[in-house]
Amino acid sequence: MENIFNHHQLLCLALLALSAPLLAFICSLIFKKLAPIIGILSIGISFISSLVLFLGIWKKQVLYYSFDWIQLANVKIGAGVLLNDLTVIMLLLISFIALLVTIYSVEYMRKDGLKYRYFAYLSLFCFAMLAVVMANNLFVVYIFWELVGFSSYLLIGFWFSKEKAVQASKKAFIMNRVGDVGFLIGLMILLTQFHTLDIDALFGSGNLIASSFVKNEIWATPFGLLPHYWLTIVGFCFFAGAIAKSAQFPLHTWLPDAMEGPTAVSSLIHAATMVAAGVFLLLRIAPLFDQTVLNVMAIIGLFTAFMAASIAVTQSDIKKVLAFSTISQLGFMIMAVGIQNQAAAIFHLVTHAFFKCLLFLAAGMIIHQLHHIKEKNKANFDEQDLAIMGGFRKFMPITAMVFMIAALALSGLPFTSGYLSKDAILVSVFEWSDVRGGFYWLLPIVASITSWLTTFYIFRVVFKVFFGEFTLPNILNKTEKEIHLTDPNAWMKMPVIILAVFCFGFFFALNPFNLDGAWLYQGFNLTESHQGIYHTLVPIYINLLSFGLIFITYQGYAKKAFSFNLEQSFLYKLSYNQWYFNQFYDIFLMRLVVLKARCYYWFDQKVIDGFIHFISKLIIILSKIAAWLDRYIIDGFVNSVALFVSLLGASLRRLQSGKLQHYYIWMLLLFLTFMIFKIII
Amino acid sequence: MGLLTILIFLPLIFGFAILLMPKTWNSYFKYIAAGVSLVQLAIATWMYFQFKTGEAFAGVNQLSQYQWVEKLDWIRLNVGGFGTLQIDYLLGVDGFSIGLVWLSALVMFIAALASWEIKTNLKGYFALFLLLNTAVIGVFCSLDLFLFYIFYELMLLPLYFLIGMWGGIRREYAAIKFFLYTLFGSIFMLLVIAGLYLSVTDPTTGNHTFNLVYAMNPANYTAGSIFSATANVQFFGFSARWIGFVVVFIAFAIKVPVFPFHTWLPDAHVEAPTPISIILAGILLKVGAYGIIRIAYGIFPDVAISLAWWMGLLGVISIIYGSMNALAQTDFKRLIAYSSVSHMGFVLLGIASLTSEGLSGAMMQLISHGFLSVMLFFIVGIIYNRVHDREISSFKGLATLMPQFTGFVMIAFFASLGLPGFSAFIAESFSLIGAFSSQSLNGLVPRWMAVIAAIGILLGAGYFLWTLQRVFFGDLYLKKEDWKAQLVDLNFREKLTLFPLAALALLLGILPSLVFDVTNASVNQFLLLFK
Repeated sequence: MENIFNHHQLLCLALLALSAPLLAFICSLIFKKLAPIIGILSIGISFISSLVLFLGIWKKQVLYYSFDWIQLANVKIGAGVLLNDLTVIMLLLISFIALLVTIYSVEYMRKDGLKYRYFAYLSLFCFAMLAVVMANNLFVVYIFWELVGFSSYLLIGFWFSKEKAVQASKKAFIMNRVGDVGFLIGLMILLTQFHTLDIDALFGSGNLIASSFVKNEIWATPFGLLPHYWLTIVGFCFFAGAIAKSAQFPLHTWLPDAMEGPTAVSSLIHAATMVAAGVFLLLRIAPLFDQTVLNVMAIIGLFTAFMAASIAVTQSDIKKVLAFSTISQLGFMIMAVGIQNQAAAIFHLVTHAFFKCLLFLAAGMIIHQLHHIKEKNKANFDEQDLAIMGGFRKFMPITAMVFMIAALALSGLPFTSGYLSKDAILVSVFEWSDVRGGFYWLLPIVASITSWLTTFYIFRVVFKVFFGEFTLPNILNKTEKEIHLTDPNAWMKMPVIILAVFCFGFFFALNPFNLDGAWLYQGFNLTESHQGIYHTLVPIYINLLSFGLIFITYQGYAKKAFSFNLEQSFLYKLSYNQWYFNQFYDIFLMRLVVLKARCYYWFDQKVIDGFIHFISKLIIILSKIAAWLDRYIIDGFVNSVALFVSLLGASLRRLQSGKLQHYYIWMLLLFLTFMIFKIII
Repeated sequence: MGLLTILIFLPLIFGFAILLMPKTWNSYFKYIAAGVSLVQLAIATWMYFQFKTGEAFAGVNQLSQYQWVEKLDWIRLNVGGFGTLQIDYLLGVDGFSIGLVWLSALVMFIAALASWEIKTNLKGYFALFLLLNTAVIGVFCSLDLFLFYIFYELMLLPLYFLIGMWGGIRREYAAIKFFLYTLFGSIFMLLVIAGLYLSVTDPTTGNHTFNLVYAMNPANYTAGSIFSATANVQFFGFSARWIGFVVVFIAFAIKVPVFPFHTWLPDAHVEAPTPISIILAGILLKVGAYGIIRIAYGIFPDVAISLAWWMGLLGVISIIYGSMNALAQTDFKRLIAYSSVSHMGFVLLGIASLTSEGLSGAMMQLISHGFLSVMLFFIVGIIYNRVHDREISSFKGLATLMPQFTGFVMIAFFASLGLPGFSAFIAESFSLIGAFSSQSLNGLVPRWMAVIAAIGILLGAGYFLWTLQRVFFGDLYLKKEDWKAQLVDLNFREKLTLFPLAALALLLGILPSLVFDVTNASVNQFLLLFK
């Protein structure tokens, strides 16, 4: 391919792929009527460019371009693109799925009055997401990372008069901000230590990370020294960013709430692409993490996977099940990064994107059709509630088929893409703990349990929705024929069928049982593959039990041969209430912060302003005292002098009587006094 | 007569003209005020683009490197054996002030447009308004401490009347609080200025001088004078320079406002009419920060270094404290006022770090907060103007009623909470980066301060999004039924005001070098003072 497109042309293509959605965002807001067409066109352009870029770059070269964006005395921040194998895979994945979802959305949003905004936001998201994976500088990654969060905010809260949707969008943005603060602190640490945030300089050809080391409890880099614990901190900081974006424990609660947005959005953003950005970031900067961070990563990933799977088992809302399933699968990916099988993480990211996107879109088809029935019959039921669904297989055959395929892939059964990627992770967990031994064996055990839980919860949905009794006639009091439940039209059917094709293992490996043939996996696999015992045993043991579980769920939910009466048990409640995380956060974080804020305000009003008022009162009192002193003491003294003088004058005036005799007597007295004094002295 | 003189005194002339015009011309005054501001803005913009950048034009402590310098002998008084009292009319701009001059012109223009809502006693209002305009531009251009002080105090007078006469219900309280607070700081500053005068001599004439630029050079201090670094004069066990710095810092910290000197701000903002709130937030706060950089830090660099830890701490406290208070507010305008405290904390933190990133971030934040706070106050003004209510709980779901307005609100809110792509993000992140790297570079501000301050970004998202949710989204609810007719979407004048502000926030967020290129040389030169 290098012969066809040179370096410069590839660069132009990259810019084209990036700028098309941005232009679409602006144009959609101006030409409101054309928004859907603009959206499809722009993302189509991005997809084609990505395809060419993939062919030109995959396993061949690294495309790098950067210009100085901000220049200060010590700091230079460049902006540009860095396209390597990881990037082109992501580009292809994002643009392809976004294209399908945009096409799907045309029908899904057909009746919405503000749909131009929807398509504009979707384009904005695509732009930001493509930029995240392309950016060459972590500062630029951060910028688009937040922009991705912002477009997700806009789309979750798209129906802005729905209180729940608005709450959910706020929650998503703020929880992501928590992670972003970590990300930002991480950037500050790296910038202090390396004076650059260029990914190529840090991790690629510049080799800065590799040339830094920890010695004598000092983390030394070519530019600076920091105490050794900052290396661990910086790892945790970036990991915090990934935790928030990829909805990992403890910042996972925003993702289930984000399901308030349009289902197509949930499919693209909150299942296939944006939430995978966290995993992508970890992969992009993987050499930075030290062993402590990696271990924590593995444990958090696994814990999240298990917790979310256990919650998904009991949820009654179809989208909630899928949301927790997403969290759980992302947990697997994070764990894969933690145990340093990055190839498996990427591989699972890609396969998961297809089948999870498909699951959501298929669920969206059901919700969409039920919504129409609801509106037509003016009925009142929750179109996402599993309880009202049943026996849809007969009426929506295509939906049922694609959903089943995706469910098989999610469970990781043979012939599917999930079989390859999930087993890649599971096998490496086994190998990882085999080396370490002891408590580390907990990881593969919990991972296996989670894997079976996955099979259970997804087939619970499959059997509840598509098998069993058709319950809608009872709810609506209508006959089966009066309810026109069918597959939706081609706008929605086409994308899901295409996605379903990509759920098969053949696409990723010619021999769908052998991981070594998986081109995507091998493309990233750095270690020599060694055919250990786990490579054969793990898939067999996982899948055998999975088949058993599917049979049990079939009996339980489709045939209703028995029922699980566990509603009263503690574990059921724990699972159904999502481990009470929302309640916990609401009480211990939200209310506490608001309460604290009130305390601060009280302090401001009463203490600081109180002090000011006290001072002003004090001054007024002092001034009153001064006024009193002035009036009664100082003025009093002056007045008393005046009074004394006037009194003296009044008494002396009497001397001036006008009678000569008096004058003589006074003169005589004066003379005598004078003489007496004279004699005495 | 230079450009700066024209820029400063143009409004004053028209202010007098308005006083002389008959009352029947009432309705034209606002056009005059807006026109004058527009001309100023045009001149300032032209200057900004003509401003020469590079090391040869750094300014700061090199008078010859300032641009558009104007120097006139103003007062020369022979005081016998003491020499000649020398006060100059000295104007000039460098990288620190040119951006603020431009910002002032812009904010004044926006404020003039916002003054359409003023209905009473127009003659007095616009005369005072134009007087204020003269004062604020003058402050940023003066290079003579005496002249600076005159303009600085001149700002108070019109503001006192503008708040006290055209304000809200508790306007008298707010006006006097504002006035006394500021005066308290500046009176003591006057003593320091006098002390500086006695210490600094003009190297060319040999007279004592108020020259601000000469005061930055230790060589210009008379040996043994009170502020001479070598003499080390002591008062009550504190060195005179230490006291000088603290006094000047407090004077300006009141203006910024820095915790715990901030309580005048919420009251003044809430009671002031919209255009005056705009000027307060957009310019007045910047005067404080400008003074800290130029006078407190520029003249007393040695003390500034020794107190850097405390400066950083005050910055961090302001950030967290301001946003926590904002979170507790029920009054829309008060919320914005407290958010200003928080945002200005980043400025102080950036300055305290004494790194090029931190200082550039602080300068960016001054400019960025300049027009973002203007936008926020204008937004509150739009609601208040229509229904005379600002309680957050009185409104819900305004997005359905005023879609365009909500669009601008979202831009203003997200820009203010530091969404990348907008100017505040660049400003805040660079202040934080500067603060964080400070410990490694110069050991002044510890790393944990930057880490704590970063939480302020999170809280910022909290109160802005919460407000957005409560006021603009959800089902429509208004406290009174008839408000529905009054709450119409934006008119042309309002759009004309908001659009450029939003565009500027975006422009500087994408091309921060528009500001950094201008400030870079000055920032580097400034940092040399501390070496």
